[in-house]
Amino acid sequence: MDLDKNKPGTASSRRRYVTTRRLDRIFVELANVYRFNARFFKEVWLPPYEFKEIIRQCYEIGVRSLPLISLTGFIIGIVFTNQSRPSLADFGATSLLPALISVAIIRAIGPLVTALIAAGRVGSAIGAELGSMRVTEQIDAMEVSATNPFKFLVVSRVLATTLMIPALTMFTTLVSLLGGYLNVHQNELTSLSVFFYQVFDAITFLDIIASSVKSVIFGYTIGMVGCYKGYNSSKGTEGVGKAANSSVVTAMFLIFIEELLIMQVINTIRAF
Amino acid sequence: MSSADNKRTVIVGIFTFLAIVILVAGIFMLAGQQKRLISTVTLTAIFDDVAGLRTGNNVWFSGVKIGTIKSINLYGDSQVEVVMNIEEKVQQYIRKNATARISSESFIGNKNIVIDGGTQSAAPIEDGDRITAVSPLNTDDLMEKLQQNNENLVAITGDFKQLTSRLVKGEGTVGALLTDTTMAQDFRNVVANLQRTTQSTVTASNSLSAFTSKLNSPGGLANQLATDKEVFQQLKNSMTQLEEATASTSEITENLRTASSRLNNSNNAVGVLLNDPKFARQLQSTMQNLETGTEKLDQNMEALQSNFLLRGFFRKQAKEQARQQQNQPAQQPVQPTDTIQFKPSILQKN
Repeated sequence: MDLDKNKPGTASSRRRYVTTRRLDRIFVELANVYRFNARFFKEVWLPPYEFKEIIRQCYEIGVRSLPLISLTGFIIGIVFTNQSRPSLADFGATSLLPALISVAIIRAIGPLVTALIAAGRVGSAIGAELGSMRVTEQIDAMEVSATNPFKFLVVSRVLATTLMIPALTMFTTLVSLLGGYLNVHQNELTSLSVFFYQVFDAITFLDIIASSVKSVIFGYTIGMVGCYKGYNSSKGTEGVGKAANSSVVTAMFLIFIEELLIMQVINTIRAF
Repeated sequence: MSSADNKRTVIVGIFTFLAIVILVAGIFMLAGQQKRLISTVTLTAIFDDVAGLRTGNNVWFSGVKIGTIKSINLYGDSQVEVVMNIEEKVQQYIRKNATARISSESFIGNKNIVIDGGTQSAAPIEDGDRITAVSPLNTDDLMEKLQQNNENLVAITGDFKQLTSRLVKGEGTVGALLTDTTMAQDFRNVVANLQRTTQSTVTASNSLSAFTSKLNSPGGLANQLATDKEVFQQLKNSMTQLEEATASTSEITENLRTASSRLNNSNNAVGVLLNDPKFARQLQSTMQNLETGTEKLDQNMEALQSNFLLRGFFRKQAKEQARQQQNQPAQQPVQPTDTIQFKPSILQKN
């Protein structure tokens, strides 16, 4: 739907805009997002299933991202532990470092860092790839050749991100905890068994469930934003860059919003 | 499917499998740590104040984590019921009279419940039992006592400061000991003497120890006195006899005292003999007269032997004696030995 044709100030524009041009644009965008998501949930259950493409996307999104995300997680584990120590040392409570690391990494840092890095790496790639396919009319060609481009391009990618981001989160969490252990072991000489005893002593099943659910939602968000931005890109090569950039920014923004909302929900559940 | 696709699929499968393994391992470790995978029994305790205790906090017994807090519910007017999941295998060690108190894992750590005590005479707990709750130590009370301790510490350090200043100035015995060299030397001598005395004491103790060990050696007098019942019985009998003898002696002494008191009186014959000087003089005179009379009787007897009427009788007697003396050596020769042999026949003849 093109709203730019309705110039402001004319009688026809005053009739066609429900609120204002900008607000209408936002609502139209939301409606498009809703339709895009609804189409995904519709297409995901219908055959034919593009297993080969899904596996390929899982490989690209999950396996190829593992080294970068693992290294980042390991460094974050070390840095976070090292930076948290002085605050606890003021209370003489450095023995609580494993518990602090556990809560921070399992509840928040693990899923969040994984999602942010994946949004940067995967989201931009999806946006750029689909955007370039759109501007080069490859998607149109697929539609003409009786191939369902949405199922082949969008469903496979969104499914891949939705499945692989939780898996990457598991790796990131483990590697971050190992990084934290390395730092704690160097400074406090804590053994691995004691470290992991304290790690699991500080968390509950709700934390693990919340972390897993969160990473699934983050994965879906990254895939869906990247696909939406790329699938609906326009304006030639400029649109490709814009789609890639917009994919990352929007995905990251939504991830933080979701993190905030999920945290509130989990805390509400925890209170019961 | 090409080989590249196949390889990619396998790698993705391994990747996913490892991620699932990490998740499952985490879940199992957490479940194991929270005692979710073992059979438990339920214990309850009613507290007035749980001081921030939360569901999932640990339950400790003798320093061992034995369970977790299952639920915390308000109870009655303003009390709190805490339900605990306890490992079934430690059920036998917790007695029905055990008490539960709220503690803290560290000064700023999580709250937990510590189960204390319980006597062996009480039966082990059963599922659903309620144990007695002890009120937790209030932090305000703790701080108040800490403040009291601080004040006491200030007073103690003040006293100590005064004491040390006096010591430095050489006041008092200890101060003099620290500053006066003569006193220090005397003290050193005292210590040396004390050391020697201690060594002597040790030697004496060793000797005493050896002596007592000898006393305790089997067959010794003390050992027999201590262990032999027969000797004790004999000793007891001896003591009884000694007691009787003492009683007899006492009686004899009493008699002697009575006799001696009578001897001091002049109203009996022996008393007069011992106490009356007039009687003594008379007795002495009588003895003198008797002696004189005996001499005169002797002279009379000699005169009588010379008398012709009795001379024959005395000669006949002298001859008889001479004959007996001559016969006696021939009948009984003198024995060369100086032993005396007893002959019952002599008694029979006599």
